[in-house]
Amino acid sequence: MDRRERQSPQAETARVLVEFLEVAITSIVHLKGIYPPGAYERRRYMNVVVHRARHPELKDYIHSAVNGLRSHILKGLVERVAVVFFNAENIPLERFIFRVSVNQSYGEKVEEADLQFSLRSFLIKLPLSEPLTKPLPMGCRWEITTYFRSLPEASTSEEADLWIPTDMKQWMQPPLITPVKSMSSEPMSLQLYMEHPSLSEPNPQGLSIGNPFVEKYEWFSESFRVKRNEKFQIGMASLPSVLEK
Amino acid sequence: MRSHNSNSICSNNSSTSNDKKRKASQKTLGMAWGANSRSASRSSFRSSPFSDVGSYMVAKNRKLQDQFNAEASCSTTSSNGKKPIFHGVSIFVDGFTIPSSQELRAYMLKNGGRFENYFSRNSVTHIICSNLPNSKIKNLRSFSGGLPVVKPTWISDSFAANKLLSWIPYQLDQLANETHNQSKLLSFFTTKSSGINNDVPTCMTDEIETKDVNHPTFEVGEGEDDNLNVSVNHAVVEEVMVNGRVHNDENSYEPRNTSLVDQISSRGESTSAQSQSSASESVQESATSAAVGPPKQHTTLADPSFVENYFKYSRLHFIGTWRRRYRKRFPNLSSGFQQTSSGHNPVKSSIIHVDMDCFFVSVVIRKHPELRNEPVAVCHSDTPRGTAEISSANYPARNYGIRAGMFVGDAKDLCPQLVVLPYDFEAYEEVADQFYNILHKHCNKVQAVSCDEAFLDATDSVVDDPQLLASLIREEIWKTTGCSASAGIAGNLLIARLATRTAKPNNQCYIPSDKVNDYLRDLPIKALPGIGHVLEEKLKAQEIKTCGELCMISKESLQRDFGSKTGEMLWNCSRGIDNRPVGVLQESKSIGAEVNWGVRLKNSRDAQTFLLNLCKEVSLRMHGCSVEGRTFTLKIKKRKRGAKEPIKYMGHGDCENISHSLTIPMATCDVEVIQRVSSQLYGCFNIAVQDIRGMGLQVSKLESSDAGTKGRQRNSILTWCTSKIGGPTTIGSAKEENKGSERQSINRNPNDARPSNQISTNYSDTDRRDNRGLVLPPLDDVDLDVVRSLPSEVLSEINDMYGGKLTELITVNKNRNEHTSNSLCDSSHKTTHDEIYGTKGPLDSSIAFSSEFPSIKEEIQSFAVSESGCANLDISTSSTDIMDLMPSSLSQVDTSVFQQLPETLKFDILKQLPAHRKVDSIGAEPQESSHARLSENQNLSLHTLSSLKDLWTGKPPRWVHIFRNNNCRILHFLSDMYYTSGTTGSLSSILQRSLLGPPSLLEASDSEGTNDVRCLFELLKQYVEIIMESDIEEIYVCFRLLKRLAVKSKVLQQVYDDVLPHLQASAGEIYGGSLQL
Repeated sequence: MDRRERQSPQAETARVLVEFLEVAITSIVHLKGIYPPGAYERRRYMNVVVHRARHPELKDYIHSAVNGLRSHILKGLVERVAVVFFNAENIPLERFIFRVSVNQSYGEKVEEADLQFSLRSFLIKLPLSEPLTKPLPMGCRWEITTYFRSLPEASTSEEADLWIPTDMKQWMQPPLITPVKSMSSEPMSLQLYMEHPSLSEPNPQGLSIGNPFVEKYEWFSESFRVKRNEKFQIGMASLPSVLEK
Repeated sequence: MRSHNSNSICSNNSSTSNDKKRKASQKTLGMAWGANSRSASRSSFRSSPFSDVGSYMVAKNRKLQDQFNAEASCSTTSSNGKKPIFHGVSIFVDGFTIPSSQELRAYMLKNGGRFENYFSRNSVTHIICSNLPNSKIKNLRSFSGGLPVVKPTWISDSFAANKLLSWIPYQLDQLANETHNQSKLLSFFTTKSSGINNDVPTCMTDEIETKDVNHPTFEVGEGEDDNLNVSVNHAVVEEVMVNGRVHNDENSYEPRNTSLVDQISSRGESTSAQSQSSASESVQESATSAAVGPPKQHTTLADPSFVENYFKYSRLHFIGTWRRRYRKRFPNLSSGFQQTSSGHNPVKSSIIHVDMDCFFVSVVIRKHPELRNEPVAVCHSDTPRGTAEISSANYPARNYGIRAGMFVGDAKDLCPQLVVLPYDFEAYEEVADQFYNILHKHCNKVQAVSCDEAFLDATDSVVDDPQLLASLIREEIWKTTGCSASAGIAGNLLIARLATRTAKPNNQCYIPSDKVNDYLRDLPIKALPGIGHVLEEKLKAQEIKTCGELCMISKESLQRDFGSKTGEMLWNCSRGIDNRPVGVLQESKSIGAEVNWGVRLKNSRDAQTFLLNLCKEVSLRMHGCSVEGRTFTLKIKKRKRGAKEPIKYMGHGDCENISHSLTIPMATCDVEVIQRVSSQLYGCFNIAVQDIRGMGLQVSKLESSDAGTKGRQRNSILTWCTSKIGGPTTIGSAKEENKGSERQSINRNPNDARPSNQISTNYSDTDRRDNRGLVLPPLDDVDLDVVRSLPSEVLSEINDMYGGKLTELITVNKNRNEHTSNSLCDSSHKTTHDEIYGTKGPLDSSIAFSSEFPSIKEEIQSFAVSESGCANLDISTSSTDIMDLMPSSLSQVDTSVFQQLPETLKFDILKQLPAHRKVDSIGAEPQESSHARLSENQNLSLHTLSSLKDLWTGKPPRWVHIFRNNNCRILHFLSDMYYTSGTTGSLSSILQRSLLGPPSLLEASDSEGTNDVRCLFELLKQYVEIIMESDIEEIYVCFRLLKRLAVKSKVLQQVYDDVLPHLQASAGEIYGGSLQL
């Protein structure tokens, strides 16, 4: 407890956020039913029933991915964390986006209880939004991708090193957004929404009338990759090589 | 001997690595330089244990160095820890000098410098000599290896001054005086008018002068680039020395590191401003980054106008844009003649192909007759790196094997005396114009191929003999332009072109149709137009090298092997068949700009800036051709993974070409739109900016913008007047969009001669597209009363824009007004104007007011209304469609103005109002009811029009108050809901409540409709703007609810439809997608 109090509000926020992201991402993966139910166990987090990954590799993947983000979140680099579901052809079908914004200049002590209360609503809302999601075909895989506000410097911690730059298949058209939950509080704002390919997506050319222009660039994305069957494919040499079950 | 080194003062930890370098490089360069000692060394090496000359030289150099170090260690006078003067300087003395080389050696010994007996590019920093033979001056590059060549007095003077002086004033006279009329690569990219020759030294001077004041000022000489590079490097060395900092990294001073130098020079002031401690760091840093990071200065971003300059100095761009110029110059000629007779009688027709001889060179050297027989090449730069590509070479140069596309360096290896000249675009234009003037004078059928090449159809020419005509033309070209041209005469375009090839240079060739086959028989296939490398290789594989051999092959087999088109082309070509008529310039199908040189981007902002510049350039070109386009293609050259910095300086190297394109519904040439589209396209690429080596933006599906303007009545006053809710006519920006944007036009204010930032940022994409392109209205259209009541500073600004004519007009008009205005109108106008200028909102009403005047113009005149009133209205009166101008309801009438009117006039107006007539028929007392309504409307109009801003500020938000005081049911209802829905104040909870309310409340009467929609539209629009960024969920909920409510209410349906584009635009802007509703 002592140690925690010495932390800056940002570090505190980042810690809570990382913890929350781990739970929320597991919930999303669970929601999409990409693994059999036996891969999870029921737990209580923030007084909400959530599912936690039992499978060590799945757990470890999510855990290491979000923990690797901590230092980036601390620096305010992370803009969006996306959980992307791909079909067998590697084309994204559905994206769950966490839009993060941590107030870098917030100086007061973070009321962890308040923050948790706000985050809790996400975990409640998430299972309710299942009807809005799209059923996944067979042979899907998923990954966690993070969009950075700017290029991260050479990282300091080992965990952060696990994040590698990546290219990403993009939809040609701006996606359709379905918001799930938004929260904005003092130390941090968080929004969760889903992106689905636009209805005109298969048509590769042209912009239909009234389509908004994308204002922002996607600076840079970093990703881990996880395949179904608990076989991990990680695109980086410095990581423990491909894990076989 | 390594241990020896540690004794020496000047060589620190790094001396071992220095030694290594020296060893490696001296092997070769030592040989070249030690020419005089060569024989000696050779003879000695025969009997010596050394295996070859190289190892001998290595050993010898090492020994000399050790001796020098040993001597230095005992003789150096190290003064109180300060760095010795010549620290970091390593000289090589060439030839006879005063003081002698031995004396110079002593100077260096005593003051921490180095003295090299043999030249090495790596270890020597300065070459000392008092005289150079001509051959060495001509070939300075190979002589000095880019190092400064300095007079020996530099050493002695520096010693006397007890500090290292800049070597620039001591540059060898022969070199310093040599005029460099050649514009350097860098000079293209300096923003100031001063070329690089001044530029780099200037910043260096700054450095030195800030460091010590006693330093004698010197003139900045016009040195060679490479010299300058080193000089900057040197300056850094100097700076560090002056600072007296101990540094460990001598490697960073390696003079060879040109990109380091570039980097430093690009840092310019900042380097000089750096503190002692950071100075050496910066050197180190830039040394390390030099390998990775490109020099900034020449690239895209250090220079904001890079793109502009790029095209200013691009030859390809010149050729590309020449066509447009040509069309402008000869509009009738280029399109006037149709293919009337040509082609009908191919046997008799005679075609002349005229081509200027090495156009780009001969134009440049026509001012230098002495160069006429010298090898000359034209190239954009002549840097010592020699990696610029030659774009054109004259015939003497071609005899040396110099070809276009060759690197300057390679060309100079082939021909050391090659003169490299820069482009002279003005001259090119001039000559090209002269060229075409002559052609058009002699022949009325001219097909322009390029700026220096054209076909003439001489069939119907006045001069019977085409050969005579050709020689006449050539002679005249020669006389007029001073450049020679060649001509080929034949029966068709193909043979004429081939004939020119034979004729060149400066000659003409006639191939009569019966000689064609003979001519073609031995012609190598490469000569045929349309046969490039690939096709040539393919044909060679089939043992076909000449046209004669090509003739043997049947058309069918050619078409089978090469495809039907190519096959036919080959078949025709080999027989000299060409049925193309002498035609006209083809309409360009696309317009674009591409930059593939010097593109080095650091971050996304750079990329954006660069993209913007590219868009500007493209837009400019589109304006130039007066076309608009719909399809935009963004091409990016992406560095291939693992590709190194290209040999060609700043070139793009090994790249992948990627492109994306996008079609928008309406053709445009607006920078803003182009930029949006292209940045969206850019977003599609998703590549690291550092890998971008080139970018090109191309616009196709072109439409003539003139036609578009006519069709859409853009910027026409009439659209303003006839539109239902017209904006002020005084500023001529028009709109043709949906009602939503029309309604926005009320935000526009006559004194907004330029779109204010605030407004334009509030606009959604579609609006922004239309609101651009504001132009100053003609002076006659400016409402003088409006202008007069402007704040003085605004007035003066507008006056400036009109070049001062405005104030004159005002004074003239004032005098006139004074005579005629009566008090009534004065006061009424005052109120109007006060309102207009007080806020943006009421403008609408004043327009409505003024727009109803035409209908009652007679009455007004009978009431002797002032002329100023009429002047005010003359725009409205110019409109023909009076009924359209009538406001649809009283709510659009400015009541303050209305009430000032005499009763009879009021009555007339009320009669004219269709909406009010209904009220009249119902109401028992028309006068009174109208008054009652007016006062209500006054409230409404004040609120709706003047204060629909910041609806969401305050607690409770302002809109609650405004809507509550409104007589409109639906607005009233909503504000009630605010209080009943609880304190959260979120729109979603209010709408949630509303859903439960009785549906009748949601319906508004017809007369209120427009107003309500406007209010609600504003309410929602502002809500989206405020909340979207932080809470998309709330917006989502609101619009879902609104959608449900809209089923019950027409008004809400209208609002929903109007706001939706704004919503999606905002979602797109912030979230990169559209909201699924």
